[in-house]
Amino acid sequence: MPELPEASAHEVRAFDRPIVMVPLLSLIAAFGGLFGSFTVSANLLVLAVGGTMVWLGLSGRAGRRTAVLRLGPGALWWLVPVLVLGLTELYSFLHGSRDDYPTVSFIFDPILDRYLPRAAGYFGWLAGFWALVRR
Amino acid sequence: MKAVILTLFVLGVLTMVLLSWLARRDGSKVPGFGDMAGFVMAYQVGRVPVGRIAMLGFWWWLGWHFFAR
Repeated sequence: MPELPEASAHEVRAFDRPIVMVPLLSLIAAFGGLFGSFTVSANLLVLAVGGTMVWLGLSGRAGRRTAVLRLGPGALWWLVPVLVLGLTELYSFLHGSRDDYPTVSFIFDPILDRYLPRAAGYFGWLAGFWALVRR
Repeated sequence: MKAVILTLFVLGVLTMVLLSWLARRDGSKVPGFGDMAGFVMAYQVGRVPVGRIAMLGFWWWLGWHFFAR
C-alpha cells in the first residue's frame, strides 16, 4: 500500500510523547469524571478539550503518523462491524431508545453515572481523540 | 428484542477485535483500525480536509454526547 511520508523528527513537538501525554490525559480524565452530565462544567470541559484537539488535528501541530493512501479489498471486512453496529443503533434509535430497544448511550449512561467508569471512559475518549489527531 | 440487540452490539465489537487481531498478523491483507481511520482522514475535496473534519468532529460529538449532554 502506498504511504505518505512520515512526519519528520523536527515536526514532533516535545509534548508529543507518551510519558507526557498519558499523565496529562489521565489528569484531564480524572478531572472530567467529576462533572455529571447536563452541567455547565461538563459542557465547558468537553468544549475546551475537544476544541483544542480539533485545532491540533487540523493544524498538524502535533505531527502525524504515516497515512495509507490506498486500501486493498481486505478493507471491506471492516464494513461488517460498521454495518452491524450502525444499523443496530439506528434500529434501536428509531424505536425510541428504551429498555426493549436499547441504544449504546441507553446502555452506557447508567454505568457512566459513577465516577470511576466515567473517568475511565473519559480517558478512552481522550486517548482515541489523541490517536486521531496524530493520524 | 433487547437480547437480540445486545447480542448484535457484542458481535459487532467482537468482529472489530477479531479484525484488529487479523490485521496484526504477518502478511495480513486486512488493514488495521488505525489504517482505516487514517485512510478516511486523508480524504479531501479540493484543499478541504473533509475526512479529517468529519472524523474529528464525530469524535468530539461522541464525547459531548456521553460526558456532557
